[in-house]
Parts: sequence; C-alpha cells; structure tokens
Amino acid sequence: MRRSAIGGNAIALSLLACAVLLAFGLGRFPVGPGDLGRLLWSGLSGQPSGLPSQIETVIWNIRGPRVLAALLCGAALAVAGTAFQGLFRNPLVSPDILGASSGAALGAVLGIYLSLGLFAIQLSAFLGGLVAVGAVYAVGSTIRRGDPVLVLVLTGVVVGSLLGAGIGLVKYWADPYNQLPAMTFWLLGSLAGTSKADLLPLLGPVLLGSAALVALRWRMNAMSLPEEEAQALGLRTGPLRLAIVVAATLVTAASVAAAGIIGWVGLVVPHLARFLVGPDFGRLVPTAAVLGGGYLLVIDTLARTAGPVETPLGILTAVIGTPFFIWLLASSRGGWS
Amino acid sequence: MSLSAADLAYGYRERLIGRDIALSLARGEVLALLGPNGSGKTTLLKTLLGLLPARGGSLTLDERPLSALSPPERARALGYVPQAHAGTFAFTVLSVVLMGRSAHGGLFAAPSRRDHAVAHAMLERLGIDRLAQRPYTLISGGERQLALIARALAQEPAYVILDEPTASLDFGNQGRVMSEIRRLAAEGLGVLFTTHDPNQALRHADRVMMIRDGQALASGPASTLLTPERLEQLYRVPIETVRGDDGRVAFLPG
Amino acid sequence: MPRPDRRRVLAGLGAAILTPHVARAATIRDGAGREIAIPAKVERVFPAGPPAAIQLYTLAPELLLGWPRANRPEELEFLLPGIGNRPEVGRITGRGNSANLEAVLQWKPDLIVDAGSTGRTYVELAERVQGQTGIPYALLDGRFAAIPDSYRILGRLTGRSERAETLAGWCENAMATIRGRIAGIPAEKRPSVYYARGPRGLETGLGGSINVETLSFLGARNVADQPGSGLAQVSLEQVLAWNPEVIVTIDLAFSDAVRSDPAWADVRAVKAGRVHLSPKLPFGWVDFPPSVNRMIGLWWLAKLLYPEAFPEDIRPLARDFHTLFYQVTPSEAQLDRVLSGRN
Repeated sequence: MRRSAIGGNAIALSLLACAVLLAFGLGRFPVGPGDLGRLLWSGLSGQPSGLPSQIETVIWNIRGPRVLAALLCGAALAVAGTAFQGLFRNPLVSPDILGASSGAALGAVLGIYLSLGLFAIQLSAFLGGLVAVGAVYAVGSTIRRGDPVLVLVLTGVVVGSLLGAGIGLVKYWADPYNQLPAMTFWLLGSLAGTSKADLLPLLGPVLLGSAALVALRWRMNAMSLPEEEAQALGLRTGPLRLAIVVAATLVTAASVAAAGIIGWVGLVVPHLARFLVGPDFGRLVPTAAVLGGGYLLVIDTLARTAGPVETPLGILTAVIGTPFFIWLLASSRGGWS
Repeated sequence: MSLSAADLAYGYRERLIGRDIALSLARGEVLALLGPNGSGKTTLLKTLLGLLPARGGSLTLDERPLSALSPPERARALGYVPQAHAGTFAFTVLSVVLMGRSAHGGLFAAPSRRDHAVAHAMLERLGIDRLAQRPYTLISGGERQLALIARALAQEPAYVILDEPTASLDFGNQGRVMSEIRRLAAEGLGVLFTTHDPNQALRHADRVMMIRDGQALASGPASTLLTPERLEQLYRVPIETVRGDDGRVAFLPG
Repeated sequence: MPRPDRRRVLAGLGAAILTPHVARAATIRDGAGREIAIPAKVERVFPAGPPAAIQLYTLAPELLLGWPRANRPEELEFLLPGIGNRPEVGRITGRGNSANLEAVLQWKPDLIVDAGSTGRTYVELAERVQGQTGIPYALLDGRFAAIPDSYRILGRLTGRSERAETLAGWCENAMATIRGRIAGIPAEKRPSVYYARGPRGLETGLGGSINVETLSFLGARNVADQPGSGLAQVSLEQVLAWNPEVIVTIDLAFSDAVRSDPAWADVRAVKAGRVHLSPKLPFGWVDFPPSVNRMIGLWWLAKLLYPEAFPEDIRPLARDFHTLFYQVTPSEAQLDRVLSGRN
C-alpha cells in the first residue's frame, strides 16, 4: 500500500508537470518552445530575453497568471471537496454543499447589478460565500435535534435554494443588455480575465485554507466516522468540524470569486485521488490538491485554446466530469475505494 | 480504581431516559448490561463514555469526575467499540485501527512509528494482522467487530465499553468475540458490554446489571443474579431453563 | 350567481360580428407579416420593451404610456420634460417578463408595440397577449436595416405617417450616404475592429450578433467573426493574437484601464490611440438598447473607422439627430458630455 501510494503520487505529480508544460506551451497567441525556454532563462537569470514584448506580455502577464490561478482554484476546490466528503461522510458531496458557491454567486451578481468595480465584485462574491456558510452553520447549530452533520447538510440545501432564488431575482432585475450577459458569463465560470492583480486576493485565502486542511488531514479519517465514535476516539468534533468548514469555505469562496462557478472539480477529483492512493485522508488530501490543480489546468487550457471564443469552464467540467462520474459509479464496488 | 456511577440520571436535554443508576466497573472484571429493546442501554453507554453529559448524580473515572476530563484524556482511559457498520470509505483495517491513536498525538500529527507499532500489536493480539491492508468494507462482519476492538485497544485504555458486540454476528463469530472479551479482562482491563442474550452474560460476565425503562432492576454476580424469575420480570415473557449434566444452565425465551 | 348583463352580451356579439368587417377596412402587416387592425384611435401605447419605447418616443412621444425602466436623471435632461419621466411600466418580452398582463390592461393602452426579433417565439407571444387582452399587438422588426420600415408601420398604426416618413427618410439618407462612401474602400483598407464589453473588455459580440450590427453595416472586419449571434467571452491572449486596429467599447472602466494596462499596451489599437468609448446618452450609440439611437452611432463609427472618408464634424450631426429624433436640442456642454461617453 505504501509503495502504491508513492506510485500514485508519482503519477499525480507527473500529470501535473505535463499539464503545466502543456498550458504554457499552448495558447491563442503563438509562442514557440524555444521562446518559452529563453523566457524562462531570462526570468531566472534576470537578463533580457531579447524577445518581442508581446511574447513577454503573453507569458508573464496573461498566460502565467492564468495558469497559476487555474492551479490554485483546482487544488483548492479538490481539497475542499475531499475534506467535505469526509466530514459529511458522503462521497457525493462537493464543496458547495453548505452554500459557499451559491452565496458567492449571489454576491457576484449583486456586485454586477450594482455596477461595482472588478475588485469589489470579487470581494462581494468572496464575502457572499462566507456569509452564506456562516448563516448555514449558525442556523444548523441552533437545531439541536438529530445528527449535527445531517442537520448541517439539510440546512445547507435549504439555504442554498433560497440563495438560488436570490440569484434569480437579481438576474430578473438586471439590465438585459448589459448586466445580464455579464452575470451569465460569471455564473458559467471562466478564468479568461485573470491578471496578476487577481492572484493576490486568490492566493491568501487559498493558501491559508488549504494549509489548514492539509494540516488537519490525519484527523479527517476519524472525522468521517459517526459523530459519537469520533468523540469516543478523543476528537473534539465540534471545533474540528468548524475548523474544517471555515478552511474549506475560505478556499471555495476565494476560488469562486476568482473564477466563477466551476462545478465537478470538487466532486470528481477526490474520487480520482482515492483511485490512486486509497481513501486514507493523510495521503488523499495532498494527492487531491495535485490532481485538482492539474485537472482544472487542463480544462482551462482546453477552454482557452479550443476556439477563438472561450468555452465556459463550468460547461467543460460538466461535460468531462459527467461521463467520468458515471463510469466511476458503475465500476466502484464495496465502498468508495 | 473504577468507572463508577452513583444516583446517575441520564438522557437528553429535553428527555430524561433513566435515573438512580448505581454502577461500578473495576479493572479486570466484565460487567454485562442486560435489558430489553428500548430500555435505555445505549444511552447509558454514551453517558458512561462521557459522550452525553450526566443529567444528575455522580460519574467518576478512577476517582475523578468524568466530566472534568478532556476528550483526549477520556479516550485514553475509555475505549469504545460500537456496533460494527460498513463505513463510508474503504479504509484499510490498519487505517481503522490507527484512528484509535487519535488521542495520543497532536492535532496535526501524522501517525508515528509508535502508533504503527501499537496498531500492529493490537491486530496481532486479536489475530487479524493478516487483514491489515484489506479494505475494512470488504471483510466479514466478525472481522470488522474484531477490527473495532483492536481500534479501541489501540487507544490503550483502562476500560473497554462495547455496544452489543455480537448483535450482527454468526454463531461462531459470537463465540470468538466473547472469548476475546474475557481475555481482555484477564489482561487487566475493565470490560462493560451490553447484550440481549442472558446466556452470554451468564457465561462471560462476572457481574450483571439488568435495566428496564431506564432503571436498574437488579445487579450482582452473574451466577446468582440470573434466575428465570428475574429474567421473566425483565423481559415479561415466560423463560424456560435448560440444565446440563455438569449443572450449568441456559435460558430459552417463550 | 350573477346574471350576465344582456346588453353587454349583445354588444359583445355585435362586436364579434362587426370586427372582421371593420378590420378588413383598415389593416396593416407588421414587421413579422402579421395582419393587424389599425385602431380607430390611438392615444395610449404600451411599449413591450426598451427598443419599442425609444422608437415610439422618437415618433410620437405623447403616446408613450411609460418606460420599461425608469430613465435616470442624467438621461432625463436629453428627453422631453413630462415624457422622459413617465412611469416605469415593466416589459413584456425578453427573459425578464416583468409586466403583468392585468397591469398592462390597467394602463388602458390602445396598442402594444414591440420591436426586436420577429422570430416564432415573439410572434406567438404577440398572438397570445393580443388574444388575452384584446389589444392590438404590433411586432416591429428590430434589425438595424429595418428601422425605416418599422417607422412607416408605426406611423400608420398611430396616425403619424408624415413624421414617420421624415424620420425614416433621415435614416435612409444616412444609411445611403454612408454606404455610398464606404463602397469604394477596398477590403485591405477596412480596419479590423474588436468590440469590447464588460469591465475587463473581454466580452464581445460575435459576427452575427445584434450588438455589432452597425459595425457589420459599415463593412468593418470584426475580429470575432465567429459563427453565432450573441455575446461571448474571449481571452486577452486571443485579442493579442487578433491584434485589432480599432477597439470600440461601451465600458467606461475598461476604456480607462486599457490605456495604462501593460498587458494591452502592445495591441495595435492601443498603440495607435484608436480605442473609442461609445457615447451612451440618453441611449447607447452602438449596442443597447438596439433601436434608432444607433443611427447617430453609425455616423460616429463611420468617422472612427474611415476618418478620410468622413470629414464632417460629429457635433452638428449629433445636434441635428437629437433635435429631430429626441426633440430636445442639446447645449454645447451637453454635447460634450454625450461625446465623452461618460454618464
């Protein structure tokens, strides 16, 4: 098992390396492999590359930030999904189960409706995600009957549909010529506009939240047991659950704020990672992060190279994720391995 | 040195399940909790484990109030074996047993070398070391129950509390699990288990406590307490007694 | 149980028998080819959406019951007092169907007018609303090239044929003049244009979309000449690869940012200072709402794309357009504000 885990991680890391190479090499603006090498060398050595400034702009200001954003968002969503699948003891759970995505979506469409600036829209989305999950958690905590995990999930579903109605209402109010298309694009997910300035607000929450989830990963095994068993094993389940929810929400809200709604990554990638290294969260969480980053990077590379016009990420992840998931359902037996 | 309850009332915030429970579990002895369905056995177990706060009376672990212990402290003293269930994820048996070490490391710690050593030792102790790398979801019910006992033992507790450890097991596995329980007591652990089978209590427990509707009907040494009259009172059905040539007895319901 | 009023029943029957006869006497084909009875009197017209409201306002402002969306203060000063500030009445067509038919009836319109797509969805919507309310519902073809014809239909429906002919004539004259001057410009002299929307400037109108209709009319090479008829998102890298000579945008934030953003610095349009922010008062000049407001935008765009072929000053043209169509002559300061593209 130990050896196969190392093998699994080697596979994940080499996939990631291929994805990064591919992502830097491909794009609508032609940049040859030789130019890439010279750019890399000039970046490392600090000497001028001697290349046209357009190529430098494409790699450092456009493609580079976008590759990094795809890696960060993919890793974040995969880690959050892995943590939530454990926490909610359900392999069909995704990071938006507690309303992080719908909250962020409502924040974003409100921002667009109010004609806020780019940064303010992102902030509004981020805060929307946090507030939504905070509300779910607060409401769930006041209900003291039954399994707290189940109560939390049900509250999430209920609040999520309310947020969905809110999104619908704002879209209904929106100016159909100007705001509505912007909202539609946002809700479909895209990294098309990513610039260097977008990386900082993404980097902070994603690194913080992912670090917390990676640090807590060994406890996630026992947290995936029924509440009382986990408590009997000496876990303070309440604070731990809160910590995992806060960390996962932080990364999800930041990703959604940066890239819009991208489904499936947080659902499918944990399964892919389990397939490679098994279900033990100690090994699973880092592998999921690596695979998630690579997966979204490949999807985003496809989105920006398939045609002159961008294909929305949410659509690609669904088109690729659905058959994969059906295959997974059909081929898994005896628990989620 | 014991897990003791006096005048214990237990239950949930909105509903008291039982009261006036007096109980003492010493190290090295086996106590069986006997009672019909819905008698409040499981809720009592959770209270004894410190998972539910006591609603009244006193509950102490080795002379300290149980409520004063932190969750990890509790877990290092009391091992819990729930009824075997399949689980959501296909953890290996070793991973499951390593979860028993949660209270021995830091919040962010990976299982240490010593944790692995203890886990393997407990697997060996229960004779299931060969299952270490098998998915927990793909082993038999009896093996699962043994794995859960190994997990509780990996907590290195002084007391082990088992919830109907043989409920879903076949005849052979029932015997294996019960003799393991006996062995644990022989090695100095205090063992408490709930059961529906008076014969199991009679054969494997030192002492028995009968509860019905959250109240202790009687408690005492297994051999003297378990009489057909008391069992009829407990289960409200006629009980037939079967006697062997060596004087040992068994009970049949109905 | 209330008994039906016999007189009203008889009157209704009479109307049912008489209507076809009357209708045959005065009908007109609307933009979708539907036969519409010309109402005997038209004093109150309900616009189904923004394009219809604008076109109706330019033709017969006093008939306009209200606006699909209330006009903002900065827009009001370019519209007739007492009409620009008429109430918000919601809209019937499109995704946000915010006018309740009972509420529509409460406005007691003599006619409902919609301008836009004449596709089957809208034809059936018109039929249904007309059947439910009993109010004639005219559908006008909202395409740019159909604007003069739409004026004529609307003119006959509202008894304003004379003014309709004037406005249609102005439009036809503008279109003919402009078309004539660009006809001789060879393909390689026609600039490539990127139409930028959204605060990042990365939303654009595809070749066949209504958003870039005037660009197509002017024979510009839309770099996003992709199949499709809507808006799409593109990457900055793609814009760099297209390297357009002219960028036209409706977004103020983008137009401010693009001039100093290093990522855009190498685009030909940015280097040549050919990034243009579209005027939008009181209604946008390029894109939305897709109505006659784009007619003055045609001149503006023509001058941007082919400066040599269009030497005339845009200011008098804009003043004339405002005076004729919006019936409010803007001051020089107001014209400055319009042309700056800022609100």
